[in-house]
Amino acid sequence: MISPAPAATAVATATAARASEPAGKTARHAVICGAGAWLPPRVLTNDDLAAHLETSDEWIRSRTGIAARHVADSGTATGDLATEAGALALKSAAESGVTEVDAVVLATTTPDRLCPATAPDVAARLGLPEVAAWDVSAVCAGFLYGLATASGVIASGDAERVLLIGAEVFTRILNPNDRTTAVIFGDGAGALVLRAGQAGEPGAVGPCVLGSDGASRDLISVPAGGSRQRTARDREDYYFQMRGREVYRHAVERLTDCSLAALARAGWRTGDVDRFAPHQANARICASVAKRLNITAERRLDNIDRVGNTAAASIPLLLAEAAADGRLRARDQVLIAGFGGGLTWGAATLVWPELTAFAECGHR
Amino acid sequence: MYEQLHKIIETKFQVPAEEITPQSTFKELGLDSLDLVELAVVVEQEIGVRITDDDLIEAGRLDAAVDLITSRSVAA
Repeated sequence: MISPAPAATAVATATAARASEPAGKTARHAVICGAGAWLPPRVLTNDDLAAHLETSDEWIRSRTGIAARHVADSGTATGDLATEAGALALKSAAESGVTEVDAVVLATTTPDRLCPATAPDVAARLGLPEVAAWDVSAVCAGFLYGLATASGVIASGDAERVLLIGAEVFTRILNPNDRTTAVIFGDGAGALVLRAGQAGEPGAVGPCVLGSDGASRDLISVPAGGSRQRTARDREDYYFQMRGREVYRHAVERLTDCSLAALARAGWRTGDVDRFAPHQANARICASVAKRLNITAERRLDNIDRVGNTAAASIPLLLAEAAADGRLRARDQVLIAGFGGGLTWGAATLVWPELTAFAECGHR
Repeated sequence: MYEQLHKIIETKFQVPAEEITPQSTFKELGLDSLDLVELAVVVEQEIGVRITDDDLIEAGRLDAAVDLITSRSVAA
């Protein structure tokens, strides 16, 4: 049983493990062996939002590329979505012969409660009693931080197989009257199963590059409800707030830089990238970063038009969906990158394995 | 400086050259506020002068933006 490790320590562990490992075959390395994604059934279109917000389908599509997003019903919380996606990823992994995990890592901005973390409950509900389980919090870079953490505990030998989930009920923290944020975010969950393997195997996760800028802590935040400000007179402070244009600029710059850094660490050129799967924040940010990286449109994976920005869920949701529908194939060399509140950012390379992914939507 | 900005708007934002004049407003050129964020980033990367999208919104027109960028690059 391992103790929960802060992300920074896990990254340091991963880096140290990789630095000290002998070149080649015997060092432990995280390898993807299962993928699942789950969306709640209710869909909210731009026209639905325009019925009560001063906005329009045309404005939303041109600014963000979003046409619709999935919204969890009021009785559904992040842990519920995480459990569904986790179960599908485990089903996927079982087809590769992996039937157990010994750690559950959940990347989320919207835990079921402030305390305790949501991951232990998800582990219990998945029939994984007493495994290590913890949440990772880095908003829309959460999955990259979670991946570094999961890779790290595998490389160090502290875990054999990790269920890594990204899940959000982001709509629950949105201000319904703020048209700049209410139209952007959606709910959903994605998950990967990682096992110990070797660096050259299909499914191997490459180096993770992570970064932060705490000086810009106020650009993306939910001001009240934590220890800094438990209660607030202004109700708006309990809602998610974002300074969109400033964030856009930081996102384009940091995503480009950390993607290039991840490629350099992996020894890849941008021409080696078969599929680019960035965090789906805004279609224009994704297009702008891809252009800067010289990654052409047909090599980009995206689904923001149908699911919106699902924060920490966005990358695993996109990967599982694309694997299930054939846009992502075995042996594809993939670059993933995310940027979010903190500010935080991260990028990593990986080679997609042969596996059966399950991407499902709940029924009404 | 005008020539550089003209070229950026033509190539990076796909605005036909004949539609770009010094008096063109960004709105007339079809650039929305997110395009101006992009433009500010490109100006910093290609011309080496740091401006914000707010600066461009306030400038409003290409000639005013050129003046602003020129004055910032002289000051630097």
